[in-house]
Amino acid sequence: MRVFRYSAPDTIGEAVAALGERSRALAGGTDLVPLMKADIAAPDELINVKPLLPRGIEARAAGLEIGALTPLAEIEQHPVVMQGYAALAQAASLAASPQIRNLASVGGNLLQRPRCWYYRNARIACWLKGAADCPAREGESRNHALFGGGPCYAVHPSDVAPALLAFDAALRVHGRGGERILELADFFALPEAERRRETTLADDELILGLRLPPHPGETRSTYLKAMDRKAWGFALVGVACVLRLSGRKIAHARLVLAGVAPIPWRAEAAERELLGAEASEARFAAAAEAAVQDAVPLRHNSYKVPLTKALVRKALKALTDPACK
Amino acid sequence: MITRREGRAKVTGAARYAADMRLPGMLYARIVRSPHPHARVARIDAARAAALPGVRAVLSSADSPAIGWHESSRLFDTTVRYVGDEVAAIAADTPALAEDAARLLEVRYEPLAFDLGGQRQKPKLEERGQLARGLREADVVLEAEYRTQTALHNALEPHGCTAFWEGDRLTVYESTQGIFAVRDEVAEKLGLSPERVRVVTEHMGGGFGAKQIAWKHTVIAALLAQRTGRPVQLVLERTAENLASGNRNATCQKLRLGAKRDGTLTAIDVRIDLEQGAYSAGGEDSDVIGTYLTLYRCGNVRAEQTALATNLGPAVAFRAPGYAEANFALESAIDELAERLNMDAIELRLRNYTSDDQREGKPFTSPESLRRCIARAAQAIEWQQKRPGLGFAAHDWAAGGGWPPAEARVDFRGGRARVIVGVQDIGTGSRTALAQIAAEALGIAVDAVEVELGDTAPGLYGPTSAGSATLATLGPAIQEAARAAKEKGSATAKRRDNPKDRSIRTCGAQAVELCVDRDTGEVIVKRVVAAHDSGRIVNPLLHTSQVIGGITQALGYALSEERIVDARFGEVLNANLEEYKVPTLADIPEILNVSESMPDMEANPTGAKGCGEPPIIATAAAIANAIYSATGVRVRELPITRDKLINGIRR
Repeated sequence: MRVFRYSAPDTIGEAVAALGERSRALAGGTDLVPLMKADIAAPDELINVKPLLPRGIEARAAGLEIGALTPLAEIEQHPVVMQGYAALAQAASLAASPQIRNLASVGGNLLQRPRCWYYRNARIACWLKGAADCPAREGESRNHALFGGGPCYAVHPSDVAPALLAFDAALRVHGRGGERILELADFFALPEAERRRETTLADDELILGLRLPPHPGETRSTYLKAMDRKAWGFALVGVACVLRLSGRKIAHARLVLAGVAPIPWRAEAAERELLGAEASEARFAAAAEAAVQDAVPLRHNSYKVPLTKALVRKALKALTDPACK
Repeated sequence: MITRREGRAKVTGAARYAADMRLPGMLYARIVRSPHPHARVARIDAARAAALPGVRAVLSSADSPAIGWHESSRLFDTTVRYVGDEVAAIAADTPALAEDAARLLEVRYEPLAFDLGGQRQKPKLEERGQLARGLREADVVLEAEYRTQTALHNALEPHGCTAFWEGDRLTVYESTQGIFAVRDEVAEKLGLSPERVRVVTEHMGGGFGAKQIAWKHTVIAALLAQRTGRPVQLVLERTAENLASGNRNATCQKLRLGAKRDGTLTAIDVRIDLEQGAYSAGGEDSDVIGTYLTLYRCGNVRAEQTALATNLGPAVAFRAPGYAEANFALESAIDELAERLNMDAIELRLRNYTSDDQREGKPFTSPESLRRCIARAAQAIEWQQKRPGLGFAAHDWAAGGGWPPAEARVDFRGGRARVIVGVQDIGTGSRTALAQIAAEALGIAVDAVEVELGDTAPGLYGPTSAGSATLATLGPAIQEAARAAKEKGSATAKRRDNPKDRSIRTCGAQAVELCVDRDTGEVIVKRVVAAHDSGRIVNPLLHTSQVIGGITQALGYALSEERIVDARFGEVLNANLEEYKVPTLADIPEILNVSESMPDMEANPTGAKGCGEPPIIATAAAIANAIYSATGVRVRELPITRDKLINGIRR
C-alpha cells in the first residue's frame, strides 16, 4: 500500500467537497483497502465518511429506506427485508463471509470493482486499468462475462445489486450541487473508453442511501447463487427473481443476473416471456432460454450458459411451487 | 479423553508463533521478487530505497555474499527463473517502510524466453516382470489418462522467521517442520559450524511439507540481522506464500491396466509427467510411481515418471507427496476397470490384495491391515446397498513407520518426568502423544509428564516432521529412555533400526456418499468415512483430528483448489485465498473416523505408526468414483469443478 493522507470531515458537504479522482471515500473498506494493498488503487487521500453516512433500515409507506452505511449483515437479518424483500436478504446472506458482511456497507457493495484476476494483478495490463485490450478475452476466462463483454470481460461481483435492481431500487446521491435521486438501473452502466468503471456516479458524489418502492404483499422473490464452494465465493452465476402472480398468471416479473456481465444484468427477454403468461415448467424453460439468448461465451465460460438457465428455472419453480411460497 | 496440551494456549492466543516475536530494536524485512518468469537482472540501483528514512539495509546480487542455492543458482541470482523469484531484500523499521522501500528499488530486467511446457528431466523408471506378456494375458485392458492440478499448501501461518545474532552465534525463531534441517542448512550457507546456530519452533500454524526444507528467507533474515546488528523478522505475505514457497506438482498420468475376466491384474503400465517448477528445491521429488508398484498384487509392472522443469514456482513435498496424485488416477482406474469387468469395485481390490511389499520384496509388518480397513470403511458406508452416489478408494503410503536417527532424553524424579526431544510439533499434537508414551512406560499419569521440544539447543537430534514419522520415530526412543530412567533417574536413548526383513507401511480406505445437482453441477458431499491403519492409536482425539484435517484438505484437492496460470505471462492468477479456493467450514461434510487401533508390534515396540499424511490420499478418488456413481460422468482431471461436471453431464 502506498502512502496516503487521511481526513475525517464533520459534514457530508465537507466530505463531498473533498472528494475527487485522487481522494476517495472510506466506509467499510472491504474493497478499497484490498485494492490499495494490491496497488490497483492508490488514492492520495482517504476521507472517512463512516460517521457521516446514514445507517439502518426503515420501513415506510413509501417503501424501504436503507442507509448507505448499513452493513450487509444487518440487511441479511432484518425482519422486514426477510419478509418482503427475501431476494435481498438471501443475496446479502450469500455474499462474502460473515466477517466481511459485518463490515461491508451496502453503498460500498454497489461501488466495488470487479474481482477479475487480470484486473486485480498490478503486473498485468488490462483495459479496465487503461490498456488497449482485455487479457481475459483470449486468456483464463472461466469466471468471465457472457453478456456485455468487450472491451472489458470482467463480471460485476455483487450479489446484493441484482436483488436491488430486481426490486427497482433507486439511490439517494449527494454531490456538490446537493442531493439527487439516481435510479439503480442508471447507476450501473457498461464501462466505456472515457469511463473505465461500472457506474455513472461522479468522482465527487457520495451514495447516502437506497430506496426500494413498496411491493404488494403477494410479491415473491428469491436469489440463487452458484459458487465454487459452499461459502465465501463470488457468484459464478447468480439469479435474482421477483415475481407476482395473479391467479396462475404472472403479473410482474424481474430477473437480474449476477456474475455474467460487467454490470448486474437484467434479463429483459426472459421477463417478457413470463409477463402475462401462465406459470408453467414450459414457460420457465422458455424464459431460461430467453435469458441466455444473447450470451457470447469465451473459451472457458460456456458452462455458465446452462448454469444460468438452470438457476433461472430453479428460481421460477421455487417461487411458484405452492408448497414453498 | 486426553486433550491436546497446547489447545488452550492456541485458542486464547497465548501460543507464540514465529511472527509473534517482538525483540528490542527489531527490524522488518521484505523480499523483492521478480515480476518476470525468466529474466536477467541487468542492474540494481538501491540508492533511492536505501535513502528512505527508516531503511536499514538492502541486500541483492549487487552486494551480498555469493551463497550457492538450488543446483547452480545463488541466494540472489542475476538470472531469475519465475515470477516470485528472489531478487533483493530490505530491512526497515516497520513493515510498511520495507514495502515502500521495495517500490523504490530500481531493478532493470532483460526478459528472456520462458517455458511453461517444461524441459524434460531424466526419467525415473521401475519395472518388474514383463509388461508385454501381462498385457497379452489380459482379457480386458483399460487405458486412460488422468490429470492432477498444481495445489498450493496455504498453511494458515505463512513461512517466516525472526533472526538475531549474539556475537558469532545465530538464533532463529522459525516456522519450520525441521529445526535441525534449518539449523544445518543455514549453518552451511553462512559458513558456520552447526553448533553456532540455534533454531526454535514453539508452535506452528501448519506446514504440510512446504516447511520441511530451509528456504531463502531464513538466510536472508540472518544476513540482514548481521548487517544491521539488530534482530530481523521476515514473514512472507500471502502472495509470496503462493508463488514462491512450494506446491504439489501437477501430474499427467497415462496408464494401462490389464486384467483377467476374474479381476486378476496382469499388467500395470504408467507414464507420468510431473511439473516441478523452476528449481529442484529439495523434497519435491515426489514418488508418484510408488503406489503403482505396491498397492495391488501384479507381476508385470512398468512405472515411469519424468519431471518437467518450467518457469514457475518450485514444487516441494505436500502431505503424502506423489501418493495423493497417483491414488486419484489408480483408484479411479480401478473403479473404471471394475465396471468393464462387471465386478464390484471392492471385490476387484480384494482380488488383487497383497500382503507383501513387492517393491522391496518382503512382507509387510501388518499384512492384513488394509483388508481390515477396506472392510470397515465398506461396512460404515453400507457399501452392499449400492446406493447411487457412493464411492470408494483404498490407499497405501510408504511411510508412517518412522526411522532413525533420533534420540530422546527422559528425566524422572519424584514421580514426575520430563521428556526432551529435538522435534517440532507441526501441529499434530506431538507434545501430547509423546507424553502419553512416556507416561505409559513410567506407569505415571500423563499430566505428570512434561515434554520439551522445538529447540535445537539441547543437541538431541530429532527428525523433520515428514513422512508421518514423528510418533513412530520418537515414541520408541522415549519408551526406551523412560524405562531406563525409571531405574536410573535420567536416561537418553537412540531410535533403533527398523526390522530388516519386513516392510512397514500405513494404509487405509475411505468411502464417500454424495449427490450431484445435475442442472447446476453442484456436488454435495454428505459423508466421508475413513478407516486407516495407524498401528496402535495412541490418542483417538488427535488421530481423528488428523483424519478430519487430511480429508478436509483432500476435499479442496478434489473439488475446488487449483493454481491458475496464464501461459502468456507466466503469471499465477490466483495467488491469494479468494480465488485459490480451500474448503470453508460450510464445505466440510460429516467425517467419520472408523479406524481401529491395530498395534503393529513388528514395526516398533510402541506398536504406533503415523497418521499425518494418510487421510489425504484416498479422498479425491473416492469422490470421483462417487460422482461417477451419481451421474455417470467420469471426470479424469482434478479439481472436479462445476464447469467440468456441467460439460460432462451435457455430453
